Amino acid sequence: MPERTLMGGNIAIAEGAILAGCGAYFGYPITPQNDLLEHMAKRMPEEDRIFLQTESELAAINMVYGAAAAGFRSMTSTSSPGFSLQQEGISYMAGSEIPAVIANIMRAGPGLGNIGGAQGDYMQCTRGGGHGDYYLITLAPSSVQDMLDYTMLAFELADKYRNPVLVMADGFLGQVVESVVIRDRVKKLPEKKWAITGAAGRPKNIINSFEMNPMDHPARIKLILQKFERMKRNEVRYEGLELEDADIVLVAYGSVARSAMTAMQKARLHKIKVGLLRPITVLPFPYQPLSDLAGRGCKFVVAEMSAGQMVEDVRIAVGNRNEIKLVNSWGGVPLTADEIFEAIDLLA
Amino acid sequence: MSWEITVSGFGGQGVLFIGRLLMESAFHSDKEVSWLPYYSGEKRGGMCTCFVNISDERIGSIFITHPDIAVAMNPAAMKILEPAVKTGGVLVVNESLIKNKTSRRDIKAVYVPTVEASKEVGDESVGNLVALGAVIANSQVVTTTSIIKVLNQILSKDKHQLELNKAALLKGCEYS
Repeated sequence: MPERTLMGGNIAIAEGAILAGCGAYFGYPITPQNDLLEHMAKRMPEEDRIFLQTESELAAINMVYGAAAAGFRSMTSTSSPGFSLQQEGISYMAGSEIPAVIANIMRAGPGLGNIGGAQGDYMQCTRGGGHGDYYLITLAPSSVQDMLDYTMLAFELADKYRNPVLVMADGFLGQVVESVVIRDRVKKLPEKKWAITGAAGRPKNIINSFEMNPMDHPARIKLILQKFERMKRNEVRYEGLELEDADIVLVAYGSVARSAMTAMQKARLHKIKVGLLRPITVLPFPYQPLSDLAGRGCKFVVAEMSAGQMVEDVRIAVGNRNEIKLVNSWGGVPLTADEIFEAIDLLA
Repeated sequence: MSWEITVSGFGGQGVLFIGRLLMESAFHSDKEVSWLPYYSGEKRGGMCTCFVNISDERIGSIFITHPDIAVAMNPAAMKILEPAVKTGGVLVVNESLIKNKTSRRDIKAVYVPTVEASKEVGDESVGNLVALGAVIANSQVVTTTSIIKVLNQILSKDKHQLELNKAALLKGCEYS
């Protein structure tokens, strides 16, 4: 049995980044992700890597842009209000094809909102978030182990596509402590011939998100869009539990997926055939498996800690063929297994 | 076997700490565990709760609505936890601050004057450990020995606090 250790969710993201070879971290404090920044402040210097607490989230994302352009595996972490501030920088990185990892440990909004966990940034995370035509692969962990594993995966996918990747978790996951298995360190980082590393002995590399000749811009965007098509084809990930005979399918991610798992088990004890589909990538979203389940006649219960955002993606997958029930909470309040079970019971 | 435990009270009463002790001692017995703090913006004086899951299986919900064991450290916690405890469950009540008794006959209620009892062992700040002792004395969730092992690790650099916490734990075990 591999050795397990106890770890908080935010800390697992930090340790996952270190294992993945993150060479530069920039961040600004905000609850409920503070212990991530704090842990990096201690650990990055120990690893002889760069840690910088910046003067704002704006500075942090632009430093990530700079360090990543120089070839470092780079990241920042923040929570919802800070994530809004970073949209400009993220759009620039997507436009200039710069890989980086951003962890958004979501709290309740809008505005200053509340420090309690929430999932109200779903649309912002899965629809680009900043200006222009771009998307980010968005990974949604639902346990502390996932926080570590998906952060490592995020660095890999960012480099694979030369695009920023999001780790999107709610504040409850950031703060929960669970057991984790520490993975092996990534030993060999990919070579980045495009990076700005000093042009001695080679043609210069230029990183920007702008074409002087406006006629060249559409072609550039087309290349980026083709990359997004490849992401959609190759990177859809989800976990399915007890879907084989399910009449009702729960769709949930993050800490809510855990509540949904308990609700599913309770429903099974009541002889209601319930399964769970947990998107691991909320972008690209698992439309096809949901569409297949809809084709089989399943009904759907979407559980989320927002006014109802992922439910729109489920509707896209299901169309008007089947019934979809939304069960939700907002404002920093957890969504419990009891509430999800009640929704299942109403539909059964 | 699974245990769902909720500890709730004012920030500053050591609610999160005794939850952590339960989680860590169960973890060292090879259980699956989760520990979730839940509080608002205030650091002290606001409501503070922690949810602890201990199980042989993969843990589902990290939120707990109907605990097997509940510890109410202040009146507001009592109001929420008293009706929530599962039938057959244990409710530890901090009698120093909570004056009412439960009318439920389907749970085991244990009334513990945590402040007075912790003063008896030398300092009123360790009432949380008294409450934890009462939890252990009235359930089989973890053993006193396993909690003491964790205390030895966490408080290894502060012998005075270590002895105080151990004494309070053992004092709490008298309330069964």
